[in-house]
Amino acid sequence: MTATPPRPDRLHGPALTWLRMRAVARRHAYVLLRSPHRLFDVTLWPLVDVLLFGALATYVARGHPTAGGKAAGYLIAGIVLWHVVYQSQISVSTGLLEETWSRNLLNLMVTPLREVEYVGGVALFGMFKLALGVGVVAVGALVFYSFDVSTLGFGLVPIAGILLLVGWTIALFVIGVVLRFGAGAEALAWGVMFVVMPLSGIFYPIDSLPTALQPVAQALPTTHAFAALRGLVDGHALAWSQLGIAAAETAVLAVLACWFLIRMLRTFRRRGLITRFT
Amino acid sequence: MPSMDVVLEARGLVKDYRRSRAVDGLDLVVHAGERVALLGPNGAGKTTTLLMLLGVVTPDEGSVHVGGRPIAGDRSHAAEEVGFAAGYLPLAERLRVREYLRLYGNLYGLAHPDAAIDAGLARFRVEHLADAMGTELSSGQRTLVGIVRATLHRPRLLVLDEPTASLDPDVSRRVREGLRAICDEDDTALVVTSHDMAEVERLCERVVFISGGRVVADGTPTEVADRFGHSDLEGVFLHLADDRTDARPPTTAEPGP
Repeated sequence: MTATPPRPDRLHGPALTWLRMRAVARRHAYVLLRSPHRLFDVTLWPLVDVLLFGALATYVARGHPTAGGKAAGYLIAGIVLWHVVYQSQISVSTGLLEETWSRNLLNLMVTPLREVEYVGGVALFGMFKLALGVGVVAVGALVFYSFDVSTLGFGLVPIAGILLLVGWTIALFVIGVVLRFGAGAEALAWGVMFVVMPLSGIFYPIDSLPTALQPVAQALPTTHAFAALRGLVDGHALAWSQLGIAAAETAVLAVLACWFLIRMLRTFRRRGLITRFT
Repeated sequence: MPSMDVVLEARGLVKDYRRSRAVDGLDLVVHAGERVALLGPNGAGKTTTLLMLLGVVTPDEGSVHVGGRPIAGDRSHAAEEVGFAAGYLPLAERLRVREYLRLYGNLYGLAHPDAAIDAGLARFRVEHLADAMGTELSSGQRTLVGIVRATLHRPRLLVLDEPTASLDPDVSRRVREGLRAICDEDDTALVVTSHDMAEVERLCERVVFISGGRVVADGTPTEVADRFGHSDLEGVFLHLADDRTDARPPTTAEPGP
């Protein structure tokens, strides 16, 4: 008779949380590497965006050299920074969708993995996708239109930080909706960005929007972050007041998103909605 | 021989769905080392019960404790003591078997799970699959890998939903022998659902029949069969299925795989 081997040692505390987050991030890295069509979101789509808005910027600048040049800067800088929001949002929300597509959600939900560890893991991997996607847009802007986004200076860093947090916050709303309404709601992962984009005035001041929509735009942190970005494009110092408003609105939105997600998870468990995904 | 340590304690579980009551005051206590089958016709409440035991569905009433921890208030810690596999769930896509097992080993807190992975694959005689992609496996191989995943961390409670569904006799035997060995070596409690009554009689020393969301019989296979006046569990199953058909219309609201 052979002796029973000792039980394997398990990690605890912060080391365990970090181990789980890395495991989730690694799982999604394998998925991306082994399904090249998923690279579309982080390579082709950013490239199409920079070509489209760069061409528009070139056309506008050609017709009106002074004002057009400024508008061209808004367009290209706007699309580069927009991809911070887009990539951070998409990577987290499609992280959960990946589990539903591969019917892996039940297997994950019965493990000790905490919700915050899962979101942390997909966000960790999302940082890699973000770097790739934004890198493609920034290099595309430089190669095709000689627009070097780094000339806007260090003011870009806090703006990008706010936009990153906004992207993650929107993803929490999307995950909550998918848990509550099923995989049929997955179109929202992409669709919601097409609502946020025009309302955020990423290429223009929001007084260009219809009057009725301007209060909605004011309530979005992205609006103030992109206003600060346009200030940098105009050669002004970073507008900390705009950034402060953006940070405060992001904090409020993040609290609302967490509250919403917790409620949706409770409903998910109470109504036995896991069976939609098995 | 099962010990007196209570590993799973479910008391007064009730779950209502929109059109029906799926589970109606169910009690279940499982001790360390026990091999228990949860049986009943489709719609009896087995899957809902399992999902409540695992903390994925919240009961409307009642409580579940695993290893003394409440699953409602301390799900993550309670889940550390549980392993789960279902015959109907695929492996995660685009992962090799070893990568897949490492992922779950890490989620259960094993920083270096390779030794446990090798031992688990060897136990079920599927070492040769370590580098295969999950999508290349047959349904039997997927089941075996699923059980290896569920037992990597050597849980105190192993919950298996339909583990031997559509398996050939050889793979079924490997599952049965592997599970017996795990329960004997680690004093692991096993709760399994199955529609294969012969398989249940070979594997489990205790059967719990559920009908209409309630426990209607609980004992050894022989005791339960005798109580219903049948020679085997299949007779009991058909007896309960007939009762249910006569008594009320089939449930349509209960979720299930």
